[in-house]
Amino acid sequence: MESIIFAMFNGVLYGMLLFLLASGLTLIFSMMGVLNFAHASFFMLGAYFAYQISEGLNFWAALFVAPVIVGLVGAGVERWGLRPVHRYGHVAELLFTFGVAYVIEELVQMIWGRVPVPYEIPELMSGALFTWQGFDYSIYRVFMLVVSVVIFVALFALLTYTRIGLIIRAAVSDPVHVATLGHDIPRIFMWTFGFGCALAGVAGVVGGNVLGTEPAMAIQLGPIVFVVIVIGGLGSLGGALVAALIIGVVTRLAIFYDYGLGSLFLSLGLEIDTAGLLRDFTRITTAQVAPVLPYLMLVLMLIFKPRGLFGTRDV
Amino acid sequence: MAVLKWLRTLGITLPIVLAAFSARGADTVKLGLIEPFSGPIAAVGRDTLEIFEFFAHEVNQRGGVLGGRHIEIVPLDNAMNAEKTTQQLRKVIDDDIRFVSQGVGSNHALNIIKFLTRHNRRNPDQAILYLNHSAVTTSFTNELCSFWHFRFDANVDMKVAALVTQIGRDPSARKLYMLNQNYAYGQAFQAAAQRLLAERAPDAELVGDELIVPFGKVLDFTPYIAKIKASGADTVLTGNWGPDLVRFVKAAAEANLNVAFYTIYAGIPSSVAGIGAKDGIATRLKQVTEMHENDPLYDQQPADLLDTYERWRQQTGKSVYSERMRWTIEYFAAALDKAGSDDPALVAAAMEGMAMEGPAGPMAMRAADHQIIFPMVISTMTEDAGRPFIYDGEDYGVAFATDGWIMSDAIELPTTCEMKRP
Repeated sequence: MESIIFAMFNGVLYGMLLFLLASGLTLIFSMMGVLNFAHASFFMLGAYFAYQISEGLNFWAALFVAPVIVGLVGAGVERWGLRPVHRYGHVAELLFTFGVAYVIEELVQMIWGRVPVPYEIPELMSGALFTWQGFDYSIYRVFMLVVSVVIFVALFALLTYTRIGLIIRAAVSDPVHVATLGHDIPRIFMWTFGFGCALAGVAGVVGGNVLGTEPAMAIQLGPIVFVVIVIGGLGSLGGALVAALIIGVVTRLAIFYDYGLGSLFLSLGLEIDTAGLLRDFTRITTAQVAPVLPYLMLVLMLIFKPRGLFGTRDV
Repeated sequence: MAVLKWLRTLGITLPIVLAAFSARGADTVKLGLIEPFSGPIAAVGRDTLEIFEFFAHEVNQRGGVLGGRHIEIVPLDNAMNAEKTTQQLRKVIDDDIRFVSQGVGSNHALNIIKFLTRHNRRNPDQAILYLNHSAVTTSFTNELCSFWHFRFDANVDMKVAALVTQIGRDPSARKLYMLNQNYAYGQAFQAAAQRLLAERAPDAELVGDELIVPFGKVLDFTPYIAKIKASGADTVLTGNWGPDLVRFVKAAAEANLNVAFYTIYAGIPSSVAGIGAKDGIATRLKQVTEMHENDPLYDQQPADLLDTYERWRQQTGKSVYSERMRWTIEYFAAALDKAGSDDPALVAAAMEGMAMEGPAGPMAMRAADHQIIFPMVISTMTEDAGRPFIYDGEDYGVAFATDGWIMSDAIELPTTCEMKRP
């Protein structure tokens, strides 16, 4: 029982980080219909900016300043890059963000070099908050959890209860009408894109020092973020949260319990193949396939419920 | 106007540059270096090129090879894409380059070995020789061995043999947890360790043995750390490299897991930079290499070699890390001179069995399988000691200190190679 709680807790933590990343992506998608392939690159920028700022000042300055800079960069990309491309349709936009990802990766390598930068957890929070089953839980991990929860609540409140949220939601469903009412739709798009990128930036600030800040981090994280928003349902914030938590918890449990497919077959009363062609197959354990499970879930989701858990439109 | 001026300058300089190149090109011995020079892991390829060019220049300064000819390194970018490696081999043939080197990524090495074995059988008078400086898959010098392949790095089995031998000497290593990447290299590491542990470290008990999805797919290592903690292990043995090593070590340090890490690749610049001094020292991070700068034997090397290293450090701002890449160039130069020809078949024959003085005693290129045999050293990351670890002029605040040497007789393993000579 204790180990279940432990795995769940770990999974929630990791899931919340995934959510932080996916929230910006899903916001941009629901607003503009743009699948931002460069989203993980903005996450990487957040980590690098945070490294640079915490070198000069400290982590707290980085936590607040880095996402703002990432957001401004994002807004700039929308204003001078995406907006002119917009009229050529979604394929052009998609290709554009694809290109942006490459440009950011090269720029990062030109500025900060091709090896990882030493972006560390702040000294103040590297101590253990509590010990569980002989396992030290650092203050920082709990801090990550708190940041993610605060952002989720703030985002939800912003979209549901404020005037800005009202306009954004209206612009999603009916941009022409909102524009007729005198709202500057291109400007709303620009700031939404910037805000979405800033969310990725926050994830970069709090995740960069745990995952390692290096030029390949965007490529490694890119696919899993898309898995989160597709499973959750494109454009659904709540869906992204649920999907991120499911992925976090399921992968953790798979590693912790480590059942083999062979033992599963045995318990089902099936004959297992220990020498023939299926030998390698029966030897696979859940821990080995844990990182692939989200992708398996993605495939199943696309087959049985292409709109995702809470999606309102097709992929 | 500026453009016109620029074009004019180009018009004047281009013929001069081209003339200079063709004059040089005529009497150089070309060595094609196929590595990733673009993409996210271009750093590794570019570091390799820097070392190759530096030591080729050293050979050229000494008077070159074959009575005054220079060695020329020709960089060929594969962008870490195995298909592009094959494309670059076609370019090597077109440009009549007769020697190639590569080392980053065993899948690329496998492509080269297969490609050249076929090419050299069909075109014996245009044969190409492959000098493998770092690709470690053991089968290249066992069942896949080829007359046209020479390896200047210890293979996985040899590196594991060195690590396991040291674990056998380490009285604090009693409970071992193994974690490796689930692909050819990680599985080879696991198999070799399982085979050698009982014999070389009989007091150490294997309390965990795990394979993970490789290449940065695992973002969060905490569940593995929890399992290691639960197993009561005091030592971790891992072949992981890149983000799979960096995240693993950082997660262990963050959870205050009190274990020592035995690894192969802890000391490469991207690992040191990614892990950082604090976490590396806390996890007593160990590496196995051919030499390191703070070993007592380092300073006992010939004075001119130490001068060369000092110049390397000044010029590049980097620590001396990959001795094996210098060996590759030195062996290449010596074999060219011994053969008295740049015919790849004669150079290959000259290289077989060739001995050289290594940092800790003699080393030899075993004729039976073209695997170099040399003593290896295990060292642990510590705070600054003597020469600190530097990369691109930056001091990372760490150094490595020797745990022990493993001599050639403990590293040399039998081969199953049945060499087919032309």
